Amino acid sequence: MIKIKSLFLVLICFPVLVFSQLKSNSNLFRFEIKNKAKEFNKEINFNKAQYFFLESNWDSTLVYSMKQLSSSDNKELNDFCHYFRATSFNKKKLFNEAKKEFDLISSKFRFYYKVKLTLGEIALKQNEFQKGLEYFEEIENLPNSFEYDLKSSTVLHNIGLCYLHLKKNDEAEKYLFKASTLQEMDKDTLLLIGSYIDIANLYYEQYKDNQAIPYFKKAYELSKKVKSFDLKIAAVLNMAVVEENRKNFPLALTYRKEYEIWKDSLNDQNKVWAIADLEKKFAIKQKQKEVDVLAAENKAKIAERNGFLISSVLLFVLLGTGVYFYRQKIRNNKIILAQKNELDELNATKDKLFSIVSHDLRSSVNALKVSNSKLLDNLESKNYTELDVLLHKNSSIASGAYNLLDNLLNWALLQTKQAYFYQESLHLASIVQHVEYNYKPLMLNKNINFKNNVATADHVFADLDSLKIIIRNFLDNAIKFSKENGTISIYSRPSSEEFCYLVIEDTGLGMNESTRKELLKETILLSKKQNDDIIGTGLGMQLCKSLIRKNEGKLDIESEENVGTRIIIALPKFKNHG
Amino acid sequence: MDNINVLIVEDTPEESDALVKVLSENNYNIVGVARTHQEALTLFYQNTIDIVVIDVFLDGKPDGITFAETINIVPNGQKPFVFLTSSKDRQIFERAKLTKPFSFLLKPFNELEILYALEMAVEKFYEQTNVFHSEDQNTVISSDSLFIKKNKVLKKVQIKDILYIEVEDRYCNIITDAEKFVILISLTKIIQLLDAAKFCQTHRNYIVNLSKIEQINVNDNLIILKGNHKVTLSDKYKDFVKNFRILK
Repeated sequence: MIKIKSLFLVLICFPVLVFSQLKSNSNLFRFEIKNKAKEFNKEINFNKAQYFFLESNWDSTLVYSMKQLSSSDNKELNDFCHYFRATSFNKKKLFNEAKKEFDLISSKFRFYYKVKLTLGEIALKQNEFQKGLEYFEEIENLPNSFEYDLKSSTVLHNIGLCYLHLKKNDEAEKYLFKASTLQEMDKDTLLLIGSYIDIANLYYEQYKDNQAIPYFKKAYELSKKVKSFDLKIAAVLNMAVVEENRKNFPLALTYRKEYEIWKDSLNDQNKVWAIADLEKKFAIKQKQKEVDVLAAENKAKIAERNGFLISSVLLFVLLGTGVYFYRQKIRNNKIILAQKNELDELNATKDKLFSIVSHDLRSSVNALKVSNSKLLDNLESKNYTELDVLLHKNSSIASGAYNLLDNLLNWALLQTKQAYFYQESLHLASIVQHVEYNYKPLMLNKNINFKNNVATADHVFADLDSLKIIIRNFLDNAIKFSKENGTISIYSRPSSEEFCYLVIEDTGLGMNESTRKELLKETILLSKKQNDDIIGTGLGMQLCKSLIRKNEGKLDIESEENVGTRIIIALPKFKNHG
Repeated sequence: MDNINVLIVEDTPEESDALVKVLSENNYNIVGVARTHQEALTLFYQNTIDIVVIDVFLDGKPDGITFAETINIVPNGQKPFVFLTSSKDRQIFERAKLTKPFSFLLKPFNELEILYALEMAVEKFYEQTNVFHSEDQNTVISSDSLFIKKNKVLKKVQIKDILYIEVEDRYCNIITDAEKFVILISLTKIIQLLDAAKFCQTHRNYIVNLSKIEQINVNDNLIILKGNHKVTLSDKYKDFVKNFRILK
């Protein structure tokens, strides 16, 4: 029986403490803390500590108050901080730590009575009733408890509780009644229920059942009006135990059931909380998973995008190089095509040249053959006058064929670049004389008047052999196109700084303007015109032009039909013409 | 004046005959005609030769060039020469070109061309180009001879035969033991070309062969040479007398 009752007492003690704490924390103290916070708004740690303290976030309060303590020496703030810490430890049920912190608070602290009160409550919780009693009585003895931020009823109630546990029943009864009277005045139902239960317990312990039961009932009735499950459970359980002791089992059973209901609901609520907590955790996990998945997706997307970017760049480069090579190929093809056309043209020219040359050679040799057989006939018939004519004819045919062959050979050498070419200073008059020497009989035959008026001081910078070929060809032409008794003169025009001008002038057929222009054009072979014997292949002209170009000279022609032609060859006087 | 001695190195008889004919007609002295490389060397070193005419191809081989290379090896034994060739093959020419001084004549050639080629060979060899066809000079001077072009014909005079030279305007009278003739050359040029150890100017118009001096009469300003030729000595050029060891 006693055992059971003592169990009740423990049950009852806590609500009272909780409520007293709640009440005492209100108003004045909060106001004061806020004032301090404003006053010391530069102390960030203190501000945070007080904020968390007021928000009942005990762990953060501990952290920031510790920081504040280690960084500042302000005694007033330090007291507050110690108080915050002590309260936090108390709430976390670390009573010994709390006590240590309270001891650090200086006695000048404005809310020192609160310290005492809390210390008392701690003592009560640790079953050090005598010690607690001392603390509470100190507070009770303070002049006027209403000026302070606490309810005297709480203090009285706690003193009562102390006496109750110390078995000083008379003192306990006195203080508990005082407290309940005050609480009735304040209409503080919650505290009142605690007080009634405590009074009832007081009487019940003394086996004053008749006095106890009305208080139990009062507490039970009041508990129906409040929402606190703990109070309801305590009140109902007390009723159940009382009825059980009175052997009134049906009623006890009813109370028991009610007790079970409240306990279950409390449990349910707890369970609901736990489930909600679990669900929350689960939801968080789920969200976290989603976030992870999204992050992974994002990563994948970025990787994909980078891949696309790189591949597109690569493709672009590939395309660029492709286009470049394609264009290069087209260009090459163009060049090749142009070269092919050029080659075709050259080939055609060459073929034409060969056909003309072979025709010329064949006809020359044939003419020689025919002439020779005639010669033999005349020799047999001893017709000597005819013999002379035929021999002269033969000689001219042979020399013509020789010249053609010579030109052909020189042209071939020039084209294949196999000929030795060496430019040096040459005495122009002598060279002209040398060439002319070979044509003397021919000119004599045609009765041509030849004049060599090249200045003996003139020197040209040229290749000896090519110069001879040039002069020979032009002289040959001049003789070919001259009429009988014509005049051919070779002379040098007054030279310029760089060039020496050699003029070969004849009084022959001449040529029209278009022929003249044709002749001066690059790479042109004259076809036979009107089957005229005296117009050649054009090979000689071609050769002369090439050789003059190679000697860095120039060619010009002045001509008038049926009056004559003037071939002007400009040759450099010095190496690289100055 | 002597004729020019020519050695012909040519393996084809027709061509050598034609060459001999043309050169003889123009007063060249044909020392001999060599048919082979060996023969050419023998003739070259046995006779006094002034010019060599060399056919590049002897019996189908470019032995002509080999011969030219051989005579070029001996210093002071070199003589001017002319290559004859019917081919303008560049490889052959590149080789022939190394035998400096190098002149060549392409076959077929006429009389004028071969004479011109010989003159050119002399000019190039003695490094006095554009002499024979210029209007103010007709003489190339070598270390031992004067090559003089007289009436389109090349002649030579041995320097050791010259007694003294008398300068008249652009002409120089050359007086030797045997004869007296005129060449076309300026005073400055002839002094420059003659060996200063052998010839000395004694007067504004006189250059004397020192080895021909018999007597110097300083008081009368007179130099008496071999053959009793008398040359004036002017005060300005008296200094050269100091070069002699004077007996007292």
